[in-house]
Amino acid sequence: MDKKYCVYICTGCGIGESLDVDALCEVPKEEGVSVKTHPFLCSSEGIDLIKKDIADDGVNAMCIAACSRRVNFDVFSFEGCVVDRTNLREQVVWAHPRSEFPALTEEEKEDEENFDRVQMMAEDYIRMGMARLEQINPPEPYELETFTNKILVIGGGVTGMGAALDASKAGYPVTIVEKEGALGGFAAKMRSQMPVTEPYDNLIPPVVDSMIQAVEADSNITVKTETVVARIAGQPGDFTVTLKNPGEKHSFDVPYPLPEEMKFDENGKELNAEQQFEVYQQYNEGREDVLTLDPEGEKFGSVVLAAGWRPAKIEGEEYTHLGIGDSPDVVTNTQFEEIAKKGRIVRPSDGKEAKSVVFIQSPGKDEDDRDFQYCGAVTSMATLKQAKYVRDDYNDGKAYIIYQHMRTPGLAENFYKSMQQDPGIFMTKGEVIKVSKEGNGLAVEADNTLLGEQIKIKADMVVLSAGMVPETADNPVINLAYRQGPGFRDNDIFDWYADSNFICFPYETQRTGVYAAGTVRRSLTIEDSIEDATGAALKAIQCIESANRGVSVHPRSGDMTFPDFFFQRCTQCKRCTEECPFGALDDDEKGTPKPNPTRCRRCGTCMGACPERIIGFADYNINSVGSMVKSIVVPSEDDYDEPPLRILALVCENDAYPALDMAGMNRLSFSADVRIIPVRCLGSVNVIWIKDALSQGMDGAILLGCKHGDDYQCHFVKGSELASIRMQKIGDALSSLALEEERVAQKEVAIDDYDKIPEIINSFVEEIEALGPNPFKGF
Amino acid sequence: MTDRYVAEPDLEFVNEVIGLGGDSLKKCFQCATCSVVCPISPDLKPFPRKEMIAASWGLRERLTKNMDVWLCHECGDCSTKCPRGAKPGDVLSAVRSYAIQKYSPLKGVGKAVNDPKKLPLLIAVPAILFAVLVFINMNLSGMMESIFGAIGLEWSHAHEGEHVIAHADFFSTWFVDLVFVPLSLLVVLAFVLGLKRFLTDIHEQAVADGKTTRQKLDYVGVLKGIIAVIPMILKHDKFSECSENQDRATPHMMVLFSFIALFVVTGIFFVALYGLGLPGPYSQLNPVKILANVAGIALIIGSALMIKNRLTKTDQSTSYKDWYLLGLVLGLALTGMLSELTRLAGAQALTYFMYYLHLIFIFNLFAFLPFSKLAHLVYRTVALGYGNYAGRENK
Repeated sequence: MDKKYCVYICTGCGIGESLDVDALCEVPKEEGVSVKTHPFLCSSEGIDLIKKDIADDGVNAMCIAACSRRVNFDVFSFEGCVVDRTNLREQVVWAHPRSEFPALTEEEKEDEENFDRVQMMAEDYIRMGMARLEQINPPEPYELETFTNKILVIGGGVTGMGAALDASKAGYPVTIVEKEGALGGFAAKMRSQMPVTEPYDNLIPPVVDSMIQAVEADSNITVKTETVVARIAGQPGDFTVTLKNPGEKHSFDVPYPLPEEMKFDENGKELNAEQQFEVYQQYNEGREDVLTLDPEGEKFGSVVLAAGWRPAKIEGEEYTHLGIGDSPDVVTNTQFEEIAKKGRIVRPSDGKEAKSVVFIQSPGKDEDDRDFQYCGAVTSMATLKQAKYVRDDYNDGKAYIIYQHMRTPGLAENFYKSMQQDPGIFMTKGEVIKVSKEGNGLAVEADNTLLGEQIKIKADMVVLSAGMVPETADNPVINLAYRQGPGFRDNDIFDWYADSNFICFPYETQRTGVYAAGTVRRSLTIEDSIEDATGAALKAIQCIESANRGVSVHPRSGDMTFPDFFFQRCTQCKRCTEECPFGALDDDEKGTPKPNPTRCRRCGTCMGACPERIIGFADYNINSVGSMVKSIVVPSEDDYDEPPLRILALVCENDAYPALDMAGMNRLSFSADVRIIPVRCLGSVNVIWIKDALSQGMDGAILLGCKHGDDYQCHFVKGSELASIRMQKIGDALSSLALEEERVAQKEVAIDDYDKIPEIINSFVEEIEALGPNPFKGF
Repeated sequence: MTDRYVAEPDLEFVNEVIGLGGDSLKKCFQCATCSVVCPISPDLKPFPRKEMIAASWGLRERLTKNMDVWLCHECGDCSTKCPRGAKPGDVLSAVRSYAIQKYSPLKGVGKAVNDPKKLPLLIAVPAILFAVLVFINMNLSGMMESIFGAIGLEWSHAHEGEHVIAHADFFSTWFVDLVFVPLSLLVVLAFVLGLKRFLTDIHEQAVADGKTTRQKLDYVGVLKGIIAVIPMILKHDKFSECSENQDRATPHMMVLFSFIALFVVTGIFFVALYGLGLPGPYSQLNPVKILANVAGIALIIGSALMIKNRLTKTDQSTSYKDWYLLGLVLGLALTGMLSELTRLAGAQALTYFMYYLHLIFIFNLFAFLPFSKLAHLVYRTVALGYGNYAGRENK
């Protein structure tokens, strides 16, 4: 693209009062770039000024030196133009008030040793903005060759049916695959369910029957029972799915990645790409490679994963004191539900009426108050429900609940209160010590109860509260034909629930186009599962409606860029394939990555990973940031006796950058020697930028990004974690150059940490000051 | 290892407590706010938190044998502060009613007193009895005179001198005392029987709960304890510690003192009649009569105030047992005063009728004393005395 540049400086919002705008205008002028100022650039008058330049002078690359890119993004958007939003307002003048950073007086200006830090900062930012414009181009969307808007729903329980019905109502064809012989899932095996409407205080018949009827009556929904997914290949908008019967062996069963230990030969030497591929083929004998598409496969645009749960097993040493296995009258909550579904509650051992039933919520023992695994609000409520069965069946029935935690969130509290009001339901917190046979029945012993001491309860039956294990615990279910493997990675940190970020991005998994809903995501009631299903269905639709236009789905919704690879220089190192948090890349037998742009979330982790620097986006690439770094003026002792420091800050634009803007809005100041460059994700930070910065004499570099680790807040799951690994490695490289490792640091900033940001930056600057200036300065 | 407490809920007990005004008992979620806000609960093993779980679990023995339910004065602070609307004050009150029934010897009477459907019966028994006696008095006085003459007693207690309206002409004082003296003895017997079991039970439970260090129950010690707590009861010390229902303390005190005064007056007149041979009616200037009139008026005011309090305090539930007793006291006081006023006004038929009603009220109060809520007069006094003896002091 032939670019015609122009710099627009807004002097409103305090910019004009704080900065020497004439001096600022000299910066583009020196480069031969035209510059215009306006007191109110975001006004219609200001916009007209720019539009006029576009029309009359053919300006198509503009540096808008005004407010933050996080505001007025819709105002400063011009068709076919590239725009850089140079942030003079929030991060220069607001964050560096003249009360703290006084401007030079006329007298001071005469002495060349004096300098104005804030003015220098603003000038640098304009240089950086102009440099970036040279390196970026307007994006063109990636278009799929074939595209389908069909939605695949895995699981035919209430969640799956709910998602299917919602998607169908919105006009999308849906296929439900259900591994069992009939729709309904666990909800169809219940006697009654928790209330779903006002006043939320009594049991209702399961709503699942009406859902099954609705699904069967919907011509837009295809139901395939006794069917599972053998593999899902391809990418969102164009998935090729192989379906099969459960247990069937299929040539399109998904292949598994090579275990780490098999990537080495007998001598411990790593096999090369082609050797590894050979071993991989042996390892997955009888299964086609991920890149081979099933010619008979069905096409789907996106997937809703509603595989549900199964009851946790209560067995082993840990639970022997609970009598499970010893007496057939000690059962789990699922077994109890089966008994209740059949009719009146009777003992499994002798068919006698079970009028006294003890429900145990926590294993008790070792003074530990934890519940059974995978227990929570839903199992608490299921217990209340089942206690009610005992009362419904027998006028003189007694149901005891011994709990460590009774969780009835939201309006379910009404249900709890109503069950508590039943004269025959008795509850106490307590630690169950022992369940044993006594006479014709059972005796439950508990300590530390609300009744005050060690108690014993005589029971006909004992029910243990087994938790709800997500299907994804030991089964990928989705069987993705992805090089990184068929399931979600690192799901152990979510206790094997299918999720990527519970708080910020519900339904989104680590695989674009696959949306989890219902009890595979967390234990949920029927009511909550149905609501969850709606959320996932909407996400699946969003995915289709983004893939069809070649834009990113989330979290960079609508982003038209995608990573572009300069394959001629690829060394098949596989780093991009392995590090992509979303498994977007599948390398071939040689190790060359095959991009799947609709799987991609545009975080740029591949760009940060690539040692050859061959990956980039139209408006964000190695050179766009690299040239910004290089355009920062680094004063040396040749310029001033005591030159100011220059520190590079690469800031995650999701959390840290808005936090910095907020610091500015709150007039919280930080060092004016720092130069901030926003990055899509710390994962996209290529170490070359830091090397460049240090080799041109900058004194340090700080990365501000999201929290990483098990409870990460990274929008791209892995980005900040990968950055921290890379920064450790760069530390080693720095030491070999006789530069202190401490010159590069990474700090965690959450979006609400705006009040902590000045302290984080200033203390880093102080550390650098203590180290002294970069010895390479001035070379 | 110690023997485990076998928790065996009694569903019937739960339902009975609910019926006696403890319908909120199941709402408790054991936060113990009640025990904290209670101004009179002991620091060690405080009530009513533990009583609430025992009630919702239907642990009958735990509650009926528990002295703590009698330490509660139902001042209502707990009920007002309860975040769950479980009204511990009302639950304990219902438990006390249940306990009174349990310890009274005639279970049927106890049930009838707490059952609104049985109210006509409770009224009919004395109404018929007194009607028969009135009939005898009015029509068969000659026969009565000869019967009494045969054993050397004067039938008539008629006032000497000019004729005045005397209730004895309508209903002989002999009949009054022939009914109420034996009835009082039966009431005392009922209490003695009940209290013996009551004391044994609360002592046993107090020992088991570690509320006392005394192992063997010593009745003399308990008696000393009772004597020791009487000034506290008379002064309503505990009652006035309550913040929510403090306005109930004064009416309650008025009623209590009125009853004591009327008891004293009745005793004096009894001695005057049988010992000194001085039949009524007595002069309005007689100091004893003045005391009786003051007490009667105080009783009307006190019970009326209590009724008003109950009607205006909607956050506290009032059940049949409360209305029965309050109605009884007010009715008793009103008919008593009206009997006197109509007598002084010279309305003979009306005053006789008032007196008849008055007798029915008195009968209800006396005969059902060990069975109605009024029995708290005895049980609470004994429990407080026992508490003093056992070393379970209120705060």
